[in-house]
Amino acid sequence: MTTLDKPMAQGGHAQPNSADTQSIWALRWRRFRGHRTGVASLVVLALLIVFCLMAGPLEAWRGIDATQTDLFKRYLPISAEHWLGTDDAGRDVLARLMYGGQVSLLVGLLATIIGGVFGVSLGLLAGYYGGRLDNALMRLTDGMIALPLLPLLIVLGAVDLTKLGFSTEAAHSQSVAFWRIILIIALVDWTAIARIVRAATLSVKERDYVSAARGSGANALYIMARHILPNTITPIIVAFTLTVGRVILFESVLSFLGFGIVPPTPSWGNMLNNAQELVTTAPALAIYPGLLIFVTVIAVNFLGDAMQHAFDPRSEK
Amino acid sequence: MASFITRRLLQTFVVLLVMSFVIYGLMGLMPGDPVDVMAASQPGMTPEVMANLRAIYGLDQPLMVRYARWLMAVMSGDFGFSRTHARPVLEVLTPALLQTCKLMLASFTLSVILSLILGVSSALKPGGWVDGFVSLFAFAGISVPIFWLALVLILTFAVGLQWLPASGMGQVGDFGFWDQVRHLTLPVLALTLANTGQFTRYVRAAMIETLQMDFVRTARAKGSGSRRVIFVHALRNAMVPFVTIMALSFGSLFSGALVTETMFAQMGMGKMIYDSILSNDFNLALIGLLFATFTTLMANLLADLAYVALDPRIRLE
Amino acid sequence: MIFRTTLAALGVAGLMMTAAPAQAAKDQLTIGVAQFPSTLHPNIDAEVIKSYTLGFVIRNITAFDKDWKNTCLSCTELPSVKNGTAKIIDLPNGGKGMEVTIKLKPDLKWADGKPVTTKDLEFTWRIARDPKTGFSNSQPWTRAVKVDIVDATTAVLTLDKVLSSYNEWDQILPEHIEGPVYEKAKEAGDYVKQTTYARNPTTPGLYNGPYMVTGYTSGSQVVLEPNPYWAGTKPGFKRIILKLIENTAALQANLLSGDVDMIGGEGVGLSIDQVLELRKQHPDRFEYLFKPSLNYEHIDLQNGNPLLKDLRVRQALIYSADRKTLTDRLFQGLQPVADTWVNPLSANFTKDTLHYPFDLAKAKALLAEAGWKPGPDGICRDAAGTRLSLEFGTTAGNRLRELQQAVLQNNWKAACIEVRIKNEPARTFFGETMKKRTYGGLAMYAWSSSVTESPRRTLASDNIPTEANGWGGANYINFSNSRMDELITKAESALDPEEAKALWAEMEQIYAKELPVIPLFFRSEAHVYPKWLKGYEPTGHGHYGSMFSENWRAAE
Repeated sequence: MTTLDKPMAQGGHAQPNSADTQSIWALRWRRFRGHRTGVASLVVLALLIVFCLMAGPLEAWRGIDATQTDLFKRYLPISAEHWLGTDDAGRDVLARLMYGGQVSLLVGLLATIIGGVFGVSLGLLAGYYGGRLDNALMRLTDGMIALPLLPLLIVLGAVDLTKLGFSTEAAHSQSVAFWRIILIIALVDWTAIARIVRAATLSVKERDYVSAARGSGANALYIMARHILPNTITPIIVAFTLTVGRVILFESVLSFLGFGIVPPTPSWGNMLNNAQELVTTAPALAIYPGLLIFVTVIAVNFLGDAMQHAFDPRSEK
Repeated sequence: MASFITRRLLQTFVVLLVMSFVIYGLMGLMPGDPVDVMAASQPGMTPEVMANLRAIYGLDQPLMVRYARWLMAVMSGDFGFSRTHARPVLEVLTPALLQTCKLMLASFTLSVILSLILGVSSALKPGGWVDGFVSLFAFAGISVPIFWLALVLILTFAVGLQWLPASGMGQVGDFGFWDQVRHLTLPVLALTLANTGQFTRYVRAAMIETLQMDFVRTARAKGSGSRRVIFVHALRNAMVPFVTIMALSFGSLFSGALVTETMFAQMGMGKMIYDSILSNDFNLALIGLLFATFTTLMANLLADLAYVALDPRIRLE
Repeated sequence: MIFRTTLAALGVAGLMMTAAPAQAAKDQLTIGVAQFPSTLHPNIDAEVIKSYTLGFVIRNITAFDKDWKNTCLSCTELPSVKNGTAKIIDLPNGGKGMEVTIKLKPDLKWADGKPVTTKDLEFTWRIARDPKTGFSNSQPWTRAVKVDIVDATTAVLTLDKVLSSYNEWDQILPEHIEGPVYEKAKEAGDYVKQTTYARNPTTPGLYNGPYMVTGYTSGSQVVLEPNPYWAGTKPGFKRIILKLIENTAALQANLLSGDVDMIGGEGVGLSIDQVLELRKQHPDRFEYLFKPSLNYEHIDLQNGNPLLKDLRVRQALIYSADRKTLTDRLFQGLQPVADTWVNPLSANFTKDTLHYPFDLAKAKALLAEAGWKPGPDGICRDAAGTRLSLEFGTTAGNRLRELQQAVLQNNWKAACIEVRIKNEPARTFFGETMKKRTYGGLAMYAWSSSVTESPRRTLASDNIPTEANGWGGANYINFSNSRMDELITKAESALDPEEAKALWAEMEQIYAKELPVIPLFFRSEAHVYPKWLKGYEPTGHGHYGSMFSENWRAAE
C-alpha cells in the first residue's frame, strides 16, 4: 500500500497541461486496450454493475420479492422459479445477491470517494504549502499508518452516539448505521492517496506555468484546482480503483466481526458471514457471495494494474 | 545518528501518550460500562451489587480521573489487572504474544521467501506466461476474503481429507514440536497465501524498476557478465524498497491477525485485543493496543535505519 | 502368495492405523465450546460457560436434576419443613424467618484429600456477604443472615425471610485454600484479584467434584482429570478437554473432522438450526438430543408507545404471528410455542390461560374494531392518518433471531402492520436500549431463569429500571400491576407447593390477558454427541448436565 504510490507519483507528472490532453487520453486508451486482462476486468466489472442494477427489473419481471420470506421454501435448490435457489428464510438468493451487490459496491464507492477527497485535500495542502504544514500533515499520515487500525475501528464502531449528544432516534437509525460504516472505512484508506497526491503536487508546483500563475497573483485555491489537481489526476484514478477493491473486502471483514451492514439489508459481506454458519450443510449460500466478492475485487485490482501500466509513460510495451 | 534515534524514540513516546488518551476516551464512549457488561450476562444482579462493584473498580469516578489514575499506575510500572481474565495484564499478554509470534513469524518468513521467488521470476519477463500466472496468484491472494479462505482450508484439509487438525494450539499433555506444527499448519497457510500476494507485487514492481535501470540495461546490452551477475546485482537494488516494506509490515505482525486467529481458535494478540475491547476490559485493551502501536513505530524506525544501511546515498537528518 | 500376505498385512496395518486414534480416544472426551470462562471462581461473574465447566469440578449442595426435581448433591438429605430440617421461626424484629439445617455428605473431599466441612460452608457464606470481595454473584448465600456450625457436617442457616427457595444452595469454597487469601486481601476488590481460582486454577484443593482441573490455558482449553478422592460414582474418562473454538462454522468443522467429540447444547456451542442441518447431513454419525429448556424467547412491547397501549393492537400482533409454523419450519417443532414465561415442564405451569393461536381474520377484525383501516400501501391507518408502523429490534449478528424477525415481519405485513427492523449489537441492545427502555416498539430476546425462580426481576414494579435505581432490574416492559406485585411476594414465601401453584397460575393468567409481551417459544438445547458416549443426560436448565458427568462413560 505504501510503496505502490512512488512509481505512480513519478508517472503522474509527465503529463503536460495543454491542449493535447485529448490525445494523451486517446493514447492511454489505446494502450489500455492492448492490455488484455485490463480490458477483461473492465468488461467483468461492467457486467457486475449491470447484474446488480438488474435487481429491480428482475423482481418485477419474475414477480418475486427479495424480502419475501417463505418458511416452506427454505434451502431450495436451483429451479426455474429461483434461479439460484433460496436461503435459510426462503428468500430468493439471486435477487438478494443483486441487492447485496448494490449495497457492497455503493459502500465501496462512497467510502473511497470520502476517504479520497480527504486524502487529496490533505495531499494538495501539504504539497503546495510545504514547510511546517507539510511536516505536520505528513506526520499525521505516518501516525495513521502506524496505528493498529482494525481494533481502533472496532472501538469507533462501538461508540455510543447518544453519549456524544445525538438523540436516541438519530443515533440508532438505519441510515446512521450505514453512513457510520462508510465513514469508518473511509478513515482507513485516505493515507495512501494523501501521500501520492503530495508527491505529485511537489513535482508539479515547480513547473513554469504554475509559477507563472502564482506570479500573476492567482488565488492559491484556484491554482490548486486549475493547475495542480488536473496534473495529479492519473495516480489518483489508479489509487481510487485499488482502494475500491480493498474497501469491498474490508466491508466483508467488518461484517464478519459483526460491525458491517446490518441485516435484513443484504450486502455481500453480511450474506457471506450469515452463510458461513451453515457452510458445512448449505455451502452454496456461502459460495455465491464469496465468489462475487472475490471476482469483483480481483477485477478491480487487475483494472488498477492495467491503468497504471497504460498511464505510465515509461512502460513501452 | 544517535540524536536521530533519540528524537524518534521521544516522538514514539508522545504518540503512545496521545494514543492512550484517545483510546481511553473512545472506550468511555462505548455503550455501558464494565459492570453493565457483567450485568448483561447476569440480569439478576441487584442495583446494590452493581453500585458496590462500580465503587470497587473505581467506575463511579469521572472518566478523566480514571485515566489519570491509570496513567500514574502505568508510569510506575503497574500495568493493572485484566477484569475479564482475572489476572494481571502482563500474565494475559505474554502467552498471547508468544502464540502470535509463532504464527506470524512462520507465515511472515514463508511469505517473504515465496514472494521473492515468485516476484523475481515474474519480473524477469513481464507479460510472459510466468508473469501472468504469478499475477493471477498474487491478485487472488489480495482479493480473497480471509475468513472465507480459512473456511475453505478447514473444509478441505480438516473435514474433507482429514490430514490436519482444524484448529487450536495443540493438546495439553502432548505439547510435542510436531503436534504444534500440525496445529499451526492451516492458519499459517491461510496467512501466507494472503500475505504473499501483496509482497509479490512489491517484489515484482521493485525488480522491474531496477531491471530497467541504466546500469543493468547497459550490462545486459553489452552482454558482459553472466545473467546471474546481473540478476544478483539487480536483486540487491530491488531489495531496498522491499526491505523497507518488510520492516514496516513486521511491526504490524504483533497486533496479530484477528480473523485468522478467530477462525483457527488461536489465542493471539489480535483476538485478545478484540475481546478485551468488546468486553470493556480497559486495562488489557489499552496495553494491548499500545504495545501493538509501539512495535509498529519501532519497526518504522528500523525500516528507516535499514534504508540507510542498504542505500548509502541516503542520509539521516 | 507372498504378495498377498504383504497386501493383507498392509491392509491390517491400515485398519489399525485408522482404528488406533478412535480406540485411544475412548478414555478421553473432547468437548468443543464456543465460549471460555473468565475465571473458575463460582461467585465472580455469572457465565453459562463457567457454570458448565464448574459442573464437572465443584458440586452444588443441591441442584435440579434432569426431571427438574430438586435433589441433594453434597448433602445427605434435602432440607424440608416436613421432616423438620427447615422450620419457620419468629425473628427478634417481629417478622418471620427460617432455620434450615444442612447435612453434608461425610465422605465428600477436596481433590487434595482434605474433607469438605461446614467450616467451608461458613467461610463461603461469610465472604459472600462481605461487599469488599467484589462478587457479582453472591445472591444464593446472602439470603442467610447467620450460620451456626453444629458439627463438621451439620450447619444451621438462619434466613430473615420465609423463602420457598430455602432448599436450594450453591457451591462451597475451600476454606483451607481460600481462607488465607481472603485474610490477606486488604483493599476492596483485592480478593477477586488474588483468588487461587484465577491465579492458580490447577490447585487440586479447589475442587470437590468427580473431576478436577489439571490444565487451564486461558482462551484455549481446560483439561479435567478425575478427582482421586471422589467418593461417588467413578468417573468414566481419564481426561475431559473443553476446547474453545469461537467461530461456530469452525466448531462444526472440528466436530466433523473428529478434533472434538461432542458439542453441548447448553448455549455454549451450536445453535439449534445448525444441529438440525447437521442431523440432516449426518443422521447416523452422531447422537442428537433436543432437550426443552428454560430459555424463553419473546418480544417485549414498549408500553410507552401510543399504538401499543391499545390491548386490541397487542392482541392483533399475537394473533397474526404464526408462531407454530415458525417453530415447525425453523426448528422442526422442537421448540414449543409459549403462552407465558412459564415452561409447560415446570411444576408451576397452568394450562388455564388465554391462548392465541394463529388467526389472521381475528387479528384483522381486532384492528378494524380499534379503528385501523388498510391504506393504499397495504398498511393500516387510523382516523388521523397515522400508519400502524412499529420498530422491531433485536441483537444484531444473531442469525436465528434475524431470521425469525424477517418471518414475523412478513406475518404482520399480511395483517396490515408494518414493522421496521432496527437491530443493534448485543452490547448496545442490552446495555442501553433495553436497560433504559428506549426501544421504539418491539424488542426480541430471550432470558433463562432457574427452575422455580420468582418472576420478580422481570415483572415486579420494583424492578423497573430507572435512573433512580441505577437502571437495575430487568422489567424492561415497565409492567406495573399491583396484583402481580402482590402475587410475586406471596409466591416467594409460599412453602406449600399447592399454594404456590395457585399463585403462579394467577400470575400466568394476568400475563396472558394483559399481554405486555408476545411470548414466542421455549428454546431447546441441541446436543450432538458421539454414539459411544453413554449416560449423557442434559437437564435443560441452569444446573447443567455436567453436574452429573460422573455418569458419562464410553461404551465398551
